[in-house]
Amino acid sequence: MDADSLTRNLLRCVRILREVRVSLLPNVSFLLTRLICAAIAVAIGVLSTVSVVPDADAIPAFARKYNVTCTVCHTREPRLNTFGERFLENGYQMPGTEDGGIVGKKKLGDVTLPDVTDYLAFRMRANAVSMFNVDEQDADTGPKDRTLLGSPRNFTLLGAGTITNNVGFFADTSDRAVITLNNLGMHNLAHLRIGEFDPSAFYSHSTRRQQLGIVTAKLGGASSLMLAPAAFAAKFSGLHDRHGALIDPSTPSLFNTESEVGIDIHGRPFGDWFLYQVGVLNGEGEGTSDSNNSKDWYVMGRLDWAQSNLFSANISGFSYMGTNNATIAAAGAPGHDADWNRYGVAATIRYQMFDVYGSYTIDRISGLSEATEAVFDTSASGLTLQADVIVTDRLLMSAQYNNLDGGGDRSMRLRQSVLGLQAKYFLRSNIAIFVRNDLNLRSAEESPPVHHAFRHALLSGLALVF
Amino acid sequence: MSLYLAITCIATSQAAKLDRSPEALEKGATIYHRACIFCHGIAGKGDGPAAFFASSYSAPRPKDFTRKDYKFRSTISGELPTDQDLFRTITNGIPGYMPPFEGLTETERWNVIAYIKTFSPAFQTEHVNTLITLEMPPRPATSDSIARGRMMYLELECHVCHGLDATGHGPVHTQGDLKDNTGLPIQPTNLTNLPSFKNGASPQDIARTILTGLDGAPMPSYASAFSSPDTSIWHMVNYVLSLSTATQP
Repeated sequence: MDADSLTRNLLRCVRILREVRVSLLPNVSFLLTRLICAAIAVAIGVLSTVSVVPDADAIPAFARKYNVTCTVCHTREPRLNTFGERFLENGYQMPGTEDGGIVGKKKLGDVTLPDVTDYLAFRMRANAVSMFNVDEQDADTGPKDRTLLGSPRNFTLLGAGTITNNVGFFADTSDRAVITLNNLGMHNLAHLRIGEFDPSAFYSHSTRRQQLGIVTAKLGGASSLMLAPAAFAAKFSGLHDRHGALIDPSTPSLFNTESEVGIDIHGRPFGDWFLYQVGVLNGEGEGTSDSNNSKDWYVMGRLDWAQSNLFSANISGFSYMGTNNATIAAAGAPGHDADWNRYGVAATIRYQMFDVYGSYTIDRISGLSEATEAVFDTSASGLTLQADVIVTDRLLMSAQYNNLDGGGDRSMRLRQSVLGLQAKYFLRSNIAIFVRNDLNLRSAEESPPVHHAFRHALLSGLALVF
Repeated sequence: MSLYLAITCIATSQAAKLDRSPEALEKGATIYHRACIFCHGIAGKGDGPAAFFASSYSAPRPKDFTRKDYKFRSTISGELPTDQDLFRTITNGIPGYMPPFEGLTETERWNVIAYIKTFSPAFQTEHVNTLITLEMPPRPATSDSIARGRMMYLELECHVCHGLDATGHGPVHTQGDLKDNTGLPIQPTNLTNLPSFKNGASPQDIARTILTGLDGAPMPSYASAFSSPDTSIWHMVNYVLSLSTATQP
């Protein structure tokens, strides 16, 4: 590690923060400065354990096909930069092109045969050591302190690319499989996705592209502890999907689900400044079934500013409407169907090494009887704010704040504020080690026992994609 | 058969395919705003919204089209590239940093070149390119040729940047003294990794890079070291090619 380079870049970060503070956002930049200083202390701890760093650039997955590094499309994997976002929107084709039938392929008669390594990749994420600290350990059935050793079980094999021009595909071994038909009518007028996908892929704050990954742990007691962005969370206690499975109030859901089956259309027909998206899903937890004989639908709009000065910004808003897409089973009330809806806004600002983004969502449940509403809070909200700072070519510092004001069963509503800090060190552009600490800032009495007792978690591990 | 380096003065009319009509410029602007703006920025200054991320605190950053110093040329050091040079870079991309845009039609690529050239007044005022061309095909890579290339590699002090093992870790780089024209530290090319050669990896590409240098980067032109008639450039090329086990892309 080049100490001079590290120092130089840190000073540069602080200088830019000061400039921003003076000119624009005094309070926010002051907070950011303090967060970064705290994160630097964690990073130094990480770096002191790394004595040998391979000096090579990685070219995995899509990067192999186009012979470029991961950071052409990513700020740092998995988060996309503006170029990567347009590549994704264009159905895995370079922005402004329809190159799916040409690049990286060998033409044999009327058949195009790609090199299979340009299509296949695998991703792995493992929390090597996770330490959870909780209160109330004297309770026999309650959560307890845990130190968990991980294994690289979070392993995904994926294939993605283009079959021919304007026909793309993505499939992985976890939960996604999608076909894309692109540039229908005219360039960027309409792109169609069919299959099992993440609806928020083009949103300002995409569910699947988190520097702080979702963590689930069994700490004793009945329920698990899940650390996930609050804005994406289900938010309601006592909510079940149509097949009777209890929905964890922390789990990403509806528009912010990690994957559901449906069809959607998006495009930028008026230029780069505006993106629209409209979609239909079978519903939360439905998969390929349709137990409620109805569909959920959503609409999203996004405004972009991405032209020069190493700066970009965008803001999005969505509305997700469900019909009989969940069932309620609150204490003292009979279970019955309900309409579960969500509305949200999100924004991203990127400038040089800074990537600041966040989202706020409000969930509403309607169609309940008066008796059920007496014991079931029908509204909830979630806020997630995150800042990533590229401190050096290899070091990424992140801070994430989550505030969840949950609803649902009034005896166990999840109300929690969690601050996560992470230092991620990229040995190569596709291999990173990380250390992270999540601190529970607010623990309301009525939260579920495991969330109420949770104090903090120290996580370390490895993330890689080849 | 003799080989010689032909240094030829010609007008830029060799770019016969370039259409400078308003319609072509408008189409070029449309493509630029869809495909290029994210790295090169709306004014062509290399400051697009994604420009920081590919190499962050190191060179290369995306090309600033308002500057005259182009790396990938077939012209002598200090001169502008030809239209064909620009076409080759857009088509093939730059390994590691810029994807190939062969998905654009040839006409679209020529249109975008016409538009890119509006960013710098130099393209309007300087009409003569001094081309460096090689008029003899590569020589066979015999052991004698490779050995002679190795000697030239040392005589021309290529190892100062690229290292004795040619992996890009020469003493000047190790000391941290190598920077590009923007002041960012730059890594010499690892000559044992053929697919990473930014200016192409064919024998002709390698010869061209040695002779023209990469303006804006520390790599100088070595044209004066290979005065015509001379076959020695191919010895150097053969030596460089022998360093890599990868096949030519």
